[in-house]
Amino acid sequence: MSNLLNKLSVRSPWLFRINAGSCNGCDVELATTALIPRFDVERFGCRYCGSPRHADVVLITGPVTLKMRDKVLKLWDEIPNPKVTVAVGICPISGGVFRDSYSLAEPLDHLIPVDVNVPGCPPRPQAILEGVVLAKKIWMRKLGIEEG
Amino acid sequence: MLDTILAILHMCIFPGGVFALAVALFFKALDRRIAARVQRRVGPPLIQPVLDIAKLLTKETLIPRTAHRAAFIMAPVLAFTGMAVCAAFIPVPGVYSGLTNMGDLLVILYLLPIPAIALMLGAAASSNTFSSVGFSREMLMTLAYELPLIMILLAVAMLVGKETGVGAEFSLANILSYQAANGSLGFHPVMLPAFVAYMIFLPGTMGVAPFDIPEAEQEVLEGPLLEYGGPLLALYQIGSALKTFVVLGLGVALFFPGTLCDFWPVNLVWFVVKCFLLMLVTLTVVKAATGRFRIDQAFWFYIKFPAVLALISLVLVWWL
Repeated sequence: MSNLLNKLSVRSPWLFRINAGSCNGCDVELATTALIPRFDVERFGCRYCGSPRHADVVLITGPVTLKMRDKVLKLWDEIPNPKVTVAVGICPISGGVFRDSYSLAEPLDHLIPVDVNVPGCPPRPQAILEGVVLAKKIWMRKLGIEEG
Repeated sequence: MLDTILAILHMCIFPGGVFALAVALFFKALDRRIAARVQRRVGPPLIQPVLDIAKLLTKETLIPRTAHRAAFIMAPVLAFTGMAVCAAFIPVPGVYSGLTNMGDLLVILYLLPIPAIALMLGAAASSNTFSSVGFSREMLMTLAYELPLIMILLAVAMLVGKETGVGAEFSLANILSYQAANGSLGFHPVMLPAFVAYMIFLPGTMGVAPFDIPEAEQEVLEGPLLEYGGPLLALYQIGSALKTFVVLGLGVALFFPGTLCDFWPVNLVWFVVKCFLLMLVTLTVVKAATGRFRIDQAFWFYIKFPAVLALISLVLVWWL
């Protein structure tokens, strides 16, 4: 029974977005391009939700700045398990154009486990959607379900 | 004793509980699918509402440390049970004549705001600032759309009561038998404003665009639902799905309860089709085509248009 529920559950990933000090480029590509009706993220069963309590897939944009580090960690803890983290853009990976800046904390994967990286400055909306689909597969692996 | 068991069966299986939930989830899927087609995209699969609920059941439940635990957990249960009971009062013309024979319109009037009240209770118990904003918005919306609803129900009750000579008829079974004999109230010229008012009442009470102000995810982070997750949120969703069935079924029973023949499965399908058409016109197309009102705009909209339309019907019924 719980296996069946788990199998069904990965077909309903709800998305939540955290801006960890992004320059807003990735946010434009993510929230106002990839998640709008034109690219139809709803066909994967996704829904954009405003509350971290509803989220399954967390999309994080931006290099983690010193001011945002604790807030990102706190917000990430608010999300109920099981959850999948997707880092959008080059910034969460290495800092991107802000690399070696005095105001950056550390790369995102030093703070929290990152499951999918979507590189690009900014990445194309199609790439972000591919990241979401990959996140579904990783979610299945986390639940211990074979891909079928 | 037998009556009690029968009543409980009506609440759990037909038309409340299982049947209402199946119809409502199917409607929700169709609603999302058609809204997607209106916006020229594919949309989610038809099983999506079931998948969402299955997903929510597998998630972990987090309750804020500062929340009032009992009220926080009871609120979604209240929303769900309130609507499951209310669905048993909805008559399916030609199949099922309602739970009781007297005054059930008043019971429905009292049961209908329960999901909104439960939402407010949960929002107040979750001790979150955004939830409080959602709470105040939800309360304002409830005040705005309950006024036209009361006048619509009163207009229907007065019309039927006047014609049958009992003053005001608050029994849905008698309202249905009156309409079976004298034609549907939706075609009655005096009741036309009331029917339009009911159609405007529907998106407000269901909290869909342009009246999804309390749960606006961009402004107040889903408002009252912010702190809810996992199985508790699933209960809210089931309660809201049941409410869709209740308000659509009530609309059909009040205005278009005509039956096709004496064979009950045909009548059942006809009832579901009529509910679907009502949803298509009032919820789906409107949702796909509009943005969101501000809370003050929505409040005055409800006071200006549906309330005045319902009042016109009421006054006409009174004088004619």
